[in-house]
Amino acid sequence: MTALLDVNHLSVSFDTPQGEIQAVRDVSFSLQAGEVLAVVGESGCGKSALCKAIMRLLPASGRIRSEGIYVNGTDIGGMKEREMCRLRGKLFSMVFQDPMTSLNPAMTVGAQIAEAVRVHDPKIARQALHDRVAELMRLVEIDRVQERMKLYPQHLSGGMRQRCVMAIALAGNPAILFADEPTTALDVTIQAQILDLLRSLQRTLGMGTVFVTHDLGVAARAADRVAVMYAGKIVEIGTCEEIFRDPKHPYTWGLMRSLPAFARGRDTLYTIPGMPPALLHPPKGDAFACRNPWALAIDYEEEPPLFRVSDTHYAATWLLDERAPKIASPVAGVADGISDNCLVGEGTSDRKDDRPKEPDRESVCAGTAQVSAGKQEILLDVQHLTYVFPLNKKTVFKAVDDVSFQIKRGEIFGLIGESGSGKSTVARCIMNLYRPNGAKILYKGIDTCDPALFRRHRKMLQTMRQIIFQDSGSSLNQRMKVWDIITEPLQIWHITPPRGSMRAEAAFQMHYVGLDASCLNRYPTELSGGQRQRVAIARALSMEPELLVADEPVASLDVSIQAQIVNLFRHLQKEHGFSFLFIAHDLAMVEFLCDRVGVMYQGKLVEEGATKEVFSNPKHPYTRALLDASVRPVPMPVFRECLYRS
Amino acid sequence: MAGSRWDKIWYVGKKLLTFFGSILVLSVMVFSISRLAPGDPLVSYYGDRAEKMSQGERAWAEEKLGLHEPIPVQYVRWLAGALQGDFGISYKYKRPVVNVIGERVGNTLLLGGIGFVLIFCLALLLGIWCACREGRLFDSVICKIGTISSCIPEFWLSLLLVLLFSVNLKWLPGSGAYTVGQAGGWVDRARHLILPLAVVVLGHLWYYAYLIRNRILAEMRADYVLLAKAKGLTRRRVLFRHCLRNVMPAYLSIMAISVPHILGGTYVIETVFSYPGLGTLTYESARYHDYNLLMLLCILTGILVILGNQAAQAITEKRIG
Amino acid sequence: MENRFAIVGICPLPEEQRERQYRWQRVKGVRPFFAGTVLMLVLIVMGCLLCDLFVTKDPGYLDLHNYGAPPDREFLFGTDTMGRDIFAMIWYGGRTSLTIGIAATMISTVLAVVLGALSGCAPSRADKLLMRMTDILLSVPALSAVILIQAVLGEADVLSISFVLGITGWMSIAKVVRSEVRQIRECEYVIASRCMGGGFFHVLWKHLTPGFLSSIMFMVVMNIRNAIVAESTLSFMGIGLPAEVVTWGSMLSLAEDAMLANAWWIILIPGAFLVVTLLCFTSLGNHLRRNVSRGESNL
Repeated sequence: MTALLDVNHLSVSFDTPQGEIQAVRDVSFSLQAGEVLAVVGESGCGKSALCKAIMRLLPASGRIRSEGIYVNGTDIGGMKEREMCRLRGKLFSMVFQDPMTSLNPAMTVGAQIAEAVRVHDPKIARQALHDRVAELMRLVEIDRVQERMKLYPQHLSGGMRQRCVMAIALAGNPAILFADEPTTALDVTIQAQILDLLRSLQRTLGMGTVFVTHDLGVAARAADRVAVMYAGKIVEIGTCEEIFRDPKHPYTWGLMRSLPAFARGRDTLYTIPGMPPALLHPPKGDAFACRNPWALAIDYEEEPPLFRVSDTHYAATWLLDERAPKIASPVAGVADGISDNCLVGEGTSDRKDDRPKEPDRESVCAGTAQVSAGKQEILLDVQHLTYVFPLNKKTVFKAVDDVSFQIKRGEIFGLIGESGSGKSTVARCIMNLYRPNGAKILYKGIDTCDPALFRRHRKMLQTMRQIIFQDSGSSLNQRMKVWDIITEPLQIWHITPPRGSMRAEAAFQMHYVGLDASCLNRYPTELSGGQRQRVAIARALSMEPELLVADEPVASLDVSIQAQIVNLFRHLQKEHGFSFLFIAHDLAMVEFLCDRVGVMYQGKLVEEGATKEVFSNPKHPYTRALLDASVRPVPMPVFRECLYRS
Repeated sequence: MAGSRWDKIWYVGKKLLTFFGSILVLSVMVFSISRLAPGDPLVSYYGDRAEKMSQGERAWAEEKLGLHEPIPVQYVRWLAGALQGDFGISYKYKRPVVNVIGERVGNTLLLGGIGFVLIFCLALLLGIWCACREGRLFDSVICKIGTISSCIPEFWLSLLLVLLFSVNLKWLPGSGAYTVGQAGGWVDRARHLILPLAVVVLGHLWYYAYLIRNRILAEMRADYVLLAKAKGLTRRRVLFRHCLRNVMPAYLSIMAISVPHILGGTYVIETVFSYPGLGTLTYESARYHDYNLLMLLCILTGILVILGNQAAQAITEKRIG
Repeated sequence: MENRFAIVGICPLPEEQRERQYRWQRVKGVRPFFAGTVLMLVLIVMGCLLCDLFVTKDPGYLDLHNYGAPPDREFLFGTDTMGRDIFAMIWYGGRTSLTIGIAATMISTVLAVVLGALSGCAPSRADKLLMRMTDILLSVPALSAVILIQAVLGEADVLSISFVLGITGWMSIAKVVRSEVRQIRECEYVIASRCMGGGFFHVLWKHLTPGFLSSIMFMVVMNIRNAIVAESTLSFMGIGLPAEVVTWGSMLSLAEDAMLANAWWIILIPGAFLVVTLLCFTSLGNHLRRNVSRGESNL
């Protein structure tokens, strides 16, 4: 039987003024009809370029080389653009990452779907077209179709837009669907819905699907087979079960170990050291060698071929060579433990019985509780915080509605909620960026909402409380050098640096957050996302504050880098007693890091309590929905399926 | 529904109010600036005789032209006349200014209007064409030509063309709107129009073509283009149905603002080609303190500017709303 | 052979690779066209500044025996219809033209920065009003405004013409300054700076000024260009500087006589100098603009 899609030795490179960037290097894989292949990897590893190359949607600077891309046995690699146009939409179609930008803002969604229908059936009658659009919209579970057809994309929510994009992709009944991070830009609860919808559509329509994601959890939930990409190559490919139960490549080990779920019972997350290589001049040998604690000498000299593990499972690492020393997989046991746990939970519908059985986590929580028990001083006390934005002259938008919570000294307080739930507004109110009316925010007993009191204690308040933002790209001035950025608070308050010069001070702080001193004279644009976030943290730390407000500090980072930053927070809290307000939408990170959490929903704080308590025994329906919906990093549904099948 | 109608009336009313308000403010400004400036308006009426006038003659002349009163009174008088359609007489031509302008406005409209339409269409075509061929020879040649020609001052370009086509090759006439004594022949007029028109078009075309090209290319990099292509649309259809559609409002509003630029900006060319249009008239009236003429010309320009602006604003608002 | 399969763990990669790549990037960044125009601009500016050293003729001397002489050994670029040596006039005139361009740009830049920053920091109503005004001023045909004001001011000299060009050329820069200021004010690094206690002046000095300076640099260069064009146009039309004050524009005001005599050198040579200088400024401006947009796209 020929495969639906068979890609042979595909390489993609981009010409840039700096040279040739090799985004995809010699990738081969195949996809059967009705199968879901997840392509997993960090950002910049070439996974989207791979899909776009197959569909030939790359920009003009992209160059594709291959020894054949076969769809149902015919080679499309050498086809002309005109022939490709006819295939796109019909043979294969694509769903993109950001539904906010992938729809044309100047056309109604109905018109855009209709356009996709008409491309492949130019003579379709008006009424038939209308019916087909309605049918497609119902297929992707949009209700009130007639109304929504006439709306412009900006009037729809993110989830709705992504559904419309899916309707467009399905318009031509494609045999293959490429989904390029279709859920990344969405909220947790919506993510789960879209993922389930995609999965059910794929089953009913029998499409072969290539699912690109950076999230192992999503891959586990949706995929039959998983391909792990690193630096433009597929380093490991196998069925879902093989990859999660018995991964062979050290990179896959690293990825799995850096998931918070695998850190149960540990203080710190495992992190993959270092950063992904630049693909401008890929290093000689195995690209992963310089981050691989099990790297062999040969890894630095020669690229490993794909070794066969089983008929379906291949991995590109010299560790599988017969001459190599045998190493026991550091994740196999952990994965087993977790999957068993999940299986126990499967029978009972109630979480309460399931969760407290994890002894490790309990002891950790108890441990931190003891640590914080000694210092019960309340550092921050938010009382009845309400904040409204005027939308226009008549209406206002209540972003935060009567929120009260407390943060004790040395504690990490997590604030969870989806986008638009008001969590960032809370942070900004606390930092006195917004002036709420009638609320009280007590910091060490000083009401910071009172302008007179704020002015009197301004220096203390502004040095002792610091904020860290989500997007390190925009929170650092790209025209300033790193040392200048880090010492900016010192310059503001005209403080003579305690360590001699400003540069020495900056170097000290950088060392503290794990940055190399060689970055001192660089500009933020020359750093990677993780490094930039460390610079932002170093800047916040340079005043030695007591309270750090971190507004989604890891949301824009890759999994392995997220782990590094979260570990850093953990370290700062345990060793140096900083207190944190940690705002996030990623439940797993919050569960791992925070002592107490608050859940925000539509501006209200609907639930608050110790992390363990909230996660194991959610009281508010929204919290329950959030927990159910969150794409658990533990690949339990798939394990379930895999195990049932076998 | 009733609410939306009132909204519409309120909207139009607001626009009209701004329009007339702006014209009023403009007229006050031009009026006071021109009268406060040093210079002798009598020179433009009496020519050299004005310098030899005695004190009494001067006073008589000033009274005859209404220049003896304080400026606010003069303004009110002017305004009262203007509201009835009487804009006074031109000192130099000694005829109602409306007539003086009426004679020449056709020439300027012909030159500027045809120029504007040509620029509008050619820029669109050229911009789309370049965007289609981004990075290829045609595109880079056009871009280079655009850069270089944007550095050639209009008057020098006019000089070059006259030197080449009328002085040396003697193909086309280099001055005037028609051959003296043969007014009215269409072929003759067209021949006189070619060179000035060429300068108008060549002077502005590249800027707008480049603008269109860059906007289209920016749109082509937007995410929705990828989705449109993934649907199976050809590159050409994506370009026309999606990108152009999104670029057009911005282009229209920029072109609306540019109307006074192109239409009213022909005076340099009019001077070089001795083309009897409003540009030369504006210059003369400002130079020789021909107050009434200057007022009307300024107000006409002002109307053009404000209308262009309001049209641009309306286009932008419509797109957002 | 066996030890190739020994575990060595994480080894640092050699640094030289990155170094080499960086250096190569820098060399490749400079375009030959840009380099050429910069060289040309330097030559022209130096020539205009140091013309006393190598120009032997007096640009104002009316050589009545040799008027309208074509280029030859004595008069390198010929003489104009009044018998002045064009070669001398080019350099002395260039000095005046460049001075006017730079002076006018300085005036408009200062105006633009003050008004733009004011508008950017103002509450949204004042900002709207100010920008609306700027928009309207921007759509007034620039030269007619200049002609009007110049006619009102009377006989022009270098100072007054710079002033007029300065106060009519600030609008587009002001708009950029304003939108940059607005944008930067919303940036998280400014918010962070305010959280840390940075006052208005700290933010202005540390973040806003460097922010908009780099993005208006190219407009400032283009403004020099525009001012030179406007000056030469005015002088050519006889509204600007009188023919006795030598500039590239006023040299061309003799074009009508030259046309009758078919004396191409009187028209072509000053014009060519003008165009080449403008091209150099444009190239410089475009280079600056490319640098700015590259900085943004890296993010």
